Amino acid sequence: MALQVLNFKFKTEAPKTIAKKWSHLGVTGSGDLEVLMEQKELGGAVTAKVVTPVKGFDAVWEKMLGKFVNDCHVGDVSIEINDDNATPIVVYMRLRQALAEANAKEAE
Amino acid sequence: MKSYKELQNASFYDANARERAIAMVDKGTFTELLGPLDRFTSPHLPVLGTAVEFDDGTVTGVGLIGKHPVFVVSMEGKFIGGAIGEINGGKMVGTIRLAEKTAAAIKKAHPDEYAERRPMVVISFETGGVRLHEANAGLLAHAEVMDAFQDCRKKLPVIAVVGSKVGCFGGMGFVAAATDIIIMNEEGRIGLTGPEVIEQEMGKEEFDASNKALVYRTTGAKHKYIMQDCNYLVEDNCGAFHEALKEVAGLPMDKIEGMRRIGSPAAVAEQMKLVKLIGDMQPKDSMDMWKHYGNEDPAALPEMTTAEFLKVVKRRPRN
Amino acid sequence: MDEFDNTMIGRGRDAIEMIVDPGTFQENLIEGYSFDAEYGPGAVVGTAKMDGQDTTIIANDAQAFNERFPVVFGGVIGLEEGYKMATAVYRTMKADEAKPMSKKRPIVLIVDTPGNGPGKLEEICGMNKSTGAYQLALAEARKLGHPIVACVIGRAISGAFLCHGLQADHILALSKDFGTMIHVMPLTSIARITKMDIERLEELSTSNPVFAAGVDFFYKLGGVQEIINKLEDMRPVILKHIQEVYALKAAGKFEELGPWGRGLLGDKRGGRTHRLKAMAKMNEEFDAVADKYINA
Repeated sequence: MALQVLNFKFKTEAPKTIAKKWSHLGVTGSGDLEVLMEQKELGGAVTAKVVTPVKGFDAVWEKMLGKFVNDCHVGDVSIEINDDNATPIVVYMRLRQALAEANAKEAE
Repeated sequence: MKSYKELQNASFYDANARERAIAMVDKGTFTELLGPLDRFTSPHLPVLGTAVEFDDGTVTGVGLIGKHPVFVVSMEGKFIGGAIGEINGGKMVGTIRLAEKTAAAIKKAHPDEYAERRPMVVISFETGGVRLHEANAGLLAHAEVMDAFQDCRKKLPVIAVVGSKVGCFGGMGFVAAATDIIIMNEEGRIGLTGPEVIEQEMGKEEFDASNKALVYRTTGAKHKYIMQDCNYLVEDNCGAFHEALKEVAGLPMDKIEGMRRIGSPAAVAEQMKLVKLIGDMQPKDSMDMWKHYGNEDPAALPEMTTAEFLKVVKRRPRN
Repeated sequence: MDEFDNTMIGRGRDAIEMIVDPGTFQENLIEGYSFDAEYGPGAVVGTAKMDGQDTTIIANDAQAFNERFPVVFGGVIGLEEGYKMATAVYRTMKADEAKPMSKKRPIVLIVDTPGNGPGKLEEICGMNKSTGAYQLALAEARKLGHPIVACVIGRAISGAFLCHGLQADHILALSKDFGTMIHVMPLTSIARITKMDIERLEELSTSNPVFAAGVDFFYKLGGVQEIINKLEDMRPVILKHIQEVYALKAAGKFEELGPWGRGLLGDKRGGRTHRLKAMAKMNEEFDAVADKYINA
């Protein structure tokens, strides 16, 4: 019954960290999630911690997060996610949005 | 994240708690307190297998309107219906207490400029009240908020802003009623007992909770505005709320006291007259009250835009 | 109710007689102000002597029925009841307006209520205002110096307990052996609404007081100051707490009383230990930016 806590580590080619020290996006709503990204010296790697009520989808999380890290060449970033039953497509979309937010210049 | 300018034009109803918090104060002035980076998630939800949020579903912080520090509490309805637990209840209480302490600090630092620097508390409600997963702690937090409100009385205004999907129900319904001023958009709803519970208590023939128009007529902003339970009815964009708050920031405290619904013997006496009227009239529908106050065609009011409605509506006279 | 043959549920009026100086309760009268006897029948208000001192009594009458507002029965606090209770508090403040804090009369709340009025008329009128009005009046009286002691003799359920009880300085409760109920919702309803497993909830409720129902858990959270184990103890324990509250107020220790005091007690008793940490961190973060806002 308790929440699942999953921890992953990824490495990709030509990794780039985020522009902001930290950045947050999203709401833990039904079928959705929030993402907290933080710059962190990890030798180019990315760590990801996922907290979710759903059991048995460790491999799916690993795949989506890994795809995101590879597609976007992310490194030296700690990612933390609070999830409430988001689908893999929503997860990937939110990660991309979160990265855009983490690299955005302050808008006028 | 939308730019500040985009936010001002964006729907308040659709905005999330953080967007509302940022948009209600002046550009670039909002500092979040106990934000996501602090990771103060609920300690009670994980054992129940319920998802957590870094801000526990409530954004708290401080911004400025002119020189007025604005202490903001903004609830997120997407996270467990915006319900109140130990941490987010504590954040709400803590924010109000900070506002009161700041009022004292400003009086000391700027004794001659209190009126133009007077702080305010602004609460954007989106909640059904107590979070059942940590019900007892949530309940006790409600009492703390009422207590903290009373400490602010006649020193600094406490403003309720209601215009989000979940509305403002349960214990938070009376918390909103206990503020100085209530600002709503047309979509805002305030009540104590949710529609489903009324249906359960009274039967579907008396109150059909699936009848959206009926639910809206009973708890919606237009009804609240006619009954004087909403002070400002504004268009559904964040900028309209910001403008209304700017106006409130400049009002003298005695004028604000007169805008309250409850909180003094005179206000209670006025409400008791209303209860007497309702007891005598036994209205079948809120529209009976609208008609009583001089709205000849009450059925037309729900259909009107906010601007049209404000032009023609007749409200309960205040004595 | 066989298992609780000594229960006080539904016996608000009997409780008044058991608590006050014998034969001194004058219903509907507070220092020369008379209440309309027909108004808000679900609430009992008046003046009694407690050890010879004038004391305002506010209780629920679970036997009464309000014909104008038919959802009011069994101790429900309706529109009229909430405002009647608020008026009783305002009349109490007015009665002692000129007196120093040490002479302001106590207010004793006798609590046995299952809820606030849940009807259509109530929502059309705004039941939230009625219950809110009473709470604000109590908070004001408490801060002025009137000692307010609540005693839960039966049911103290959710919003009705917030209305009638949770703004007191100290809250006492008859032990669970009297069938006393304090909760937001029974676990069965929590399980239904949150879709959580009832067995699991029951198991967790033994270790986590934040969602479990009952007097003992509220004690641990600081929501109940002291549990009363015998009916004959109600009077002396209430009197004792009135004196304790007087003493704390005389010493200026208002923060140890009322809702905030219950928060401190909940931390001390280990039931609510997280909220103070959250607030301390908020204060620290504000201090770092305070200058920008105070000297804008």
